[in-house]
Amino acid sequence: MKLGDSLFIAEAKPACRELLKGLLDKYPFASILVQDASQKSCAVSRRLTSVSMGGRFSARGFVVKVFDGEHWSEHSFSHISPETVPELLERISATAAMSKAVLPDGIRERVYSAPKTEKLTFHGGTDYEIDPDEVGDGEIISRLTALRDRGLAVSEKILDCQANLVWQKNRKLYLAPDREQEQNVLWTTGTVFTVAAKGQEIKMSRKGFSTLGGAELMDSMDAGVEDVARVTLELLDSQPLTPGEYECVCTPEVTGMIVHEAFGHGVEMDMFVKKRALAEKYVGEYVASPLVTMHDGAAVVPETGSYFFDDEGTMAQDTVIIEKGVLRRGISDYLSAMTLGTAPTGNGRRESYRRKAYTRMTNTYFEAGTDKVEDMIASVKDGLLLCEPSSGMEDPKNWGIQCMVSYAREIKDGKLTGRIFSPIVLTGYVPDLLKSITMMSDTLELGGGGMCGKGYKEWVKVSDGGPWIKARIRLG
Amino acid sequence: MINKIIKALEAENITTWAVNETRSESVEVFFVKKNMDLKRRTDLTDWSVSVYRTVETEDGRLLGSSSVPVYPGMDDAQLRQTLREAYFAAFFAGNRYYDLIEGKKEPHEPSKSAFSKMTCEEAARVMGEALFASDTESGVFVNSAEIFAIKRSCRVLNSRGVDVSWDACEVRGEYVVQCVEGRDVETYHSFAYGEPNTQELRRDVEKSLRETRDRAAAAKPPKAGTYRVILTGDHVEELLSYYVSRSGAGMVYQHYSDYKPGDPVQGADIRGDKLTIELVGVEPFDSEGIRLTDRTLMENGTLKLLHGGARFASYLGIEPTGSYRAIRVPTGSTPFEELKREPYLRVVTFSDFQMDPMSGHFAGEIRLAYLYDGETVTPVTGGSVNGSLLAAQTDLTFSRERHVTQTYTGPLAVSIPNVSVAGA
Repeated sequence: MKLGDSLFIAEAKPACRELLKGLLDKYPFASILVQDASQKSCAVSRRLTSVSMGGRFSARGFVVKVFDGEHWSEHSFSHISPETVPELLERISATAAMSKAVLPDGIRERVYSAPKTEKLTFHGGTDYEIDPDEVGDGEIISRLTALRDRGLAVSEKILDCQANLVWQKNRKLYLAPDREQEQNVLWTTGTVFTVAAKGQEIKMSRKGFSTLGGAELMDSMDAGVEDVARVTLELLDSQPLTPGEYECVCTPEVTGMIVHEAFGHGVEMDMFVKKRALAEKYVGEYVASPLVTMHDGAAVVPETGSYFFDDEGTMAQDTVIIEKGVLRRGISDYLSAMTLGTAPTGNGRRESYRRKAYTRMTNTYFEAGTDKVEDMIASVKDGLLLCEPSSGMEDPKNWGIQCMVSYAREIKDGKLTGRIFSPIVLTGYVPDLLKSITMMSDTLELGGGGMCGKGYKEWVKVSDGGPWIKARIRLG
Repeated sequence: MINKIIKALEAENITTWAVNETRSESVEVFFVKKNMDLKRRTDLTDWSVSVYRTVETEDGRLLGSSSVPVYPGMDDAQLRQTLREAYFAAFFAGNRYYDLIEGKKEPHEPSKSAFSKMTCEEAARVMGEALFASDTESGVFVNSAEIFAIKRSCRVLNSRGVDVSWDACEVRGEYVVQCVEGRDVETYHSFAYGEPNTQELRRDVEKSLRETRDRAAAAKPPKAGTYRVILTGDHVEELLSYYVSRSGAGMVYQHYSDYKPGDPVQGADIRGDKLTIELVGVEPFDSEGIRLTDRTLMENGTLKLLHGGARFASYLGIEPTGSYRAIRVPTGSTPFEELKREPYLRVVTFSDFQMDPMSGHFAGEIRLAYLYDGETVTPVTGGSVNGSLLAAQTDLTFSRERHVTQTYTGPLAVSIPNVSVAGA
């Protein structure tokens, strides 16, 4: 099944076309992005049950982008009708003309050349097997409750087990001169996490699930709840790690965090424009082991970072960022590409119509290698298996690493000893880590359970992943 | 629209509900070096409707709830359909019964901020001028900046008579400072002001410029080991957020925290400074319409209060305090200079300093720290801090100097002994 069109967008389209016509009578270029996004979530824990139809990814409104011949401006608003078009034209014109009122002393306004326009029409929707809205809240809550009960049943020490399902139907219309693009995208994510206490210290473990699809995801969530609970119990006996450099094997989830946080943010080309990314100086050079090939793209795999066109109308692509260890190119939004004289890569994304578009990742991953996971662990004499990423922060300017994982398992003489350390901070210099990769598994996994921020804001849905990797990493 | 929503609720026989309205306008400006790259305006209206229904079960009476966004331009039929679906969903989200906050219509509370007398354009320009005022050198400079001048008008109503409204203004943003003399490095900074405190922003930028120059001179990470770590500014606020999180009624109800008023939550044998924390309302009401009055959360290391909204307060049998996002902490008695007499690692900027309210661990990668070995102070960069507040909380020492932001008034610095550092 394909996700169908938005009634809201259909009803707003005539007024939007009229608004665009009015803007193009006055300005050399204008575009309108219309968004109708609905997020719904269901969650069950030991003591609470919730169903919510709002949230960060629910938004319905419009953003107009205007080029006045030299400068760009944007205006976000919540409502349009044929009657409000004249007033909107006035408001948008006032925004385009507000430079003098906002410019601090000594600051100029950047002058851009005119954007190139290209005739394009598109209409597409993503596939799904089961529409979560048609499953019904009762059935979803019932299945989540069963998962919760299985997690709680593992041990009386499990304080809580929460299971949740979140889905978003994100429908967009992009209008610009000679352009009309419409897309409908459905993603669904699920999480199971369990909690146990050791005095005042709360330990938790989680497993995420995601799909560019619908409620069929719940079938995959049935596996592994007990494992999550057992890891939580193990964490009660975890020890702090002695800081140092270790030989590490990373699970695909941890690989994904390294791909995304440690390297991916550094190739967002709005950072090149600001001279904030060290990567710009390394294009064409080895930045990683020759085993490493890295992709980003909304069209490359069906995951939660997928779409047909970005929020500036650029069609989604598959960008090879690192090819056999050599940095080939970055990813970019439209304005950054204009500034740098490169082609946009379909990575101009907004948190919602309310926010500015930045260069953002989509689905980002390392290609699989040729090694067997068991051989990788067997090859470690004295090291660690890093598991379950918890958070990370980019440092594109200096390629410093800050990634945190929930726990690490000790490996001695090629075998897991049963000792477990927690929490773990990854630190060091990104190319050192990537160049130290000596093995990559022949399996590949991506996960889209999380969100990505630009600094501390501008949250968008992404996925990341890769194979199991073996590398030397400085840990704390 | 609010009257339309209430009529639709009545038409759907939904008798227990709450409505939140937020009208906002903002002017947003984006700079790359000394060029404005883009200007934006937003003009937004949002409504969120929560609907509640009583669900009788074998286990007793439950209260089901669900919330749903409502958009401008929805006609009566669309609105009723939306509310009907939310009411249906509420049946499956039954939790222990509680009553919504009871209240009455209160006079509108206009913003007292000087920002309210400015347009968003003026507010953005004034703060932009403060941000760039000290950006006068070529070796170290503001690389890029974003400024958001926001005015909001909020209203909360519910079916038990609450009808409160207020205005709020703020200017928030972020900037990155780059130094190209020595190593090419940068530091990231964010700010949020409820008043046009241009002098404060200007001082912050000057400090950031100095520190970024120091980062350029910092070549190595500290040696791996255990240090007396000094945190300053926003990192002190982040560290103390542990106590605010753990005393939240929601955490306690879910047994993630066993805090009770009267508990010595800072430990039984406090050798360092005893902590007192007050909860402070940034705005007059919270999202349930509860008036936010200043309250003592902790006094001399002892918990005085559990805090939270109607639901969890009812479950725990305590007074609903509302949801706070600011704290005030009395300063310590030790001058900052005295904190720096003995060897220390003073971390000024992290990639991202995080305090985990569940585990009690705090951690972050070091972007700039000053290492004092008893003889010389050396700027260092790289490596990471990984500590446990649970292990350290009895031995904290706070500075006499104060740090003030929109969400924190309290000691500028805290000294934490025996913190593990991953370094060279």
